[in-house]
Amino acid sequence: MSPQARFAASLLTPGSRCPPGLMTWNGSDPGRRFDVYRNNVMVSLIDALADSCPVAEALVGTRFFRAMAGIFVCANLPVSPVMAHYGKGFDAFIRTFEPAAGVPYLADVARLELLRVQAFHAADAVPLKSADLAHVLANADALPGARIALHPSVAVMPSPFAIASLWLAHQSDDVSAALGGVDAMRAEAVLISRVGLDVTMFSIDAATSVFVTSLAADMALASAAGRAQATDPAFDIPAALALLLRGEAMIAINFPESMLND
Amino acid sequence: MNKQITAASLAFAFGTAIAVAAMPVAAEEKTMEKEKCFGIAMKGKNDCKAGAGTSCAGTSKMDYQGNSWSFVPKGTCEKTASPTSPSGKGQLAEFKEKKA
Repeated sequence: MSPQARFAASLLTPGSRCPPGLMTWNGSDPGRRFDVYRNNVMVSLIDALADSCPVAEALVGTRFFRAMAGIFVCANLPVSPVMAHYGKGFDAFIRTFEPAAGVPYLADVARLELLRVQAFHAADAVPLKSADLAHVLANADALPGARIALHPSVAVMPSPFAIASLWLAHQSDDVSAALGGVDAMRAEAVLISRVGLDVTMFSIDAATSVFVTSLAADMALASAAGRAQATDPAFDIPAALALLLRGEAMIAINFPESMLND
Repeated sequence: MNKQITAASLAFAFGTAIAVAAMPVAAEEKTMEKEKCFGIAMKGKNDCKAGAGTSCAGTSKMDYQGNSWSFVPKGTCEKTASPTSPSGKGQLAEFKEKKA
């Protein structure tokens, strides 16, 4: 084991002795100094997760959340110094984390919160406005094969749990009262998009969720609409497109080149 | 009912979407006039958590003691309604689901 690997391993093992060869300038015990450093590493990373997932923290309480986050941190050190990107995989970890099994929606709420942070930091792109869509109507013949490029901040999150309602209830002044009206076991889907500079969430139905997910996977418009319709025959295409427009979620509509009339 | 998805129906959908999206919120155009502001990130979301002189921040918290799982999550979970739970609320231990 290299000295670096040994140092890192000691950092992640509470109670372990400090790596051999460490010295202090004034002859004090390097073990104690190393303990301080180790605690700083853990506390700052746990703080980062807590900052990103305040609702998940509220759902289980600070003590539980921080202990859970600490176990995640030990197995998932940051790969970038930018803490906004730290926490990838935290929701998957929660899903398999036995002590949290009694709060089945915890993982999805954490994922929603991480997606919000990602949306906030996603790259800029100029969204399509209604006025930009004139050429779309001029090329109606090519629409079925067209592909919609979504804004980098856009994410879709379907869940078997009422993640949007749970999140929203925690933004209320009286969280307990707001939670009283929430049925956590009801499936919900959320479209996340940065509108202007604000991360915005839209509650969407299952068919719209399939539609936008298909568009995000670069599926042609007709195929994406077809999949959404297969999910729910009542799928409302105009409403879904209006939502994408209003949510500033589209940045381009790309036609198959052979079909352009201009 | 299986509506056919055609070029015409998609053009109609876009036309309707434009009309619907054009209606709302008069202030919306104004909100586009924003600028990126740096240096106002939430704490912990900047590149480096600790600035000069703060290298020992957090040492008194002793958070990293959480190796005991004898405690259960305490939070707002128990206030959250759950139709599959015998008590009608979220529970802090696994429970047998009843039919909702």
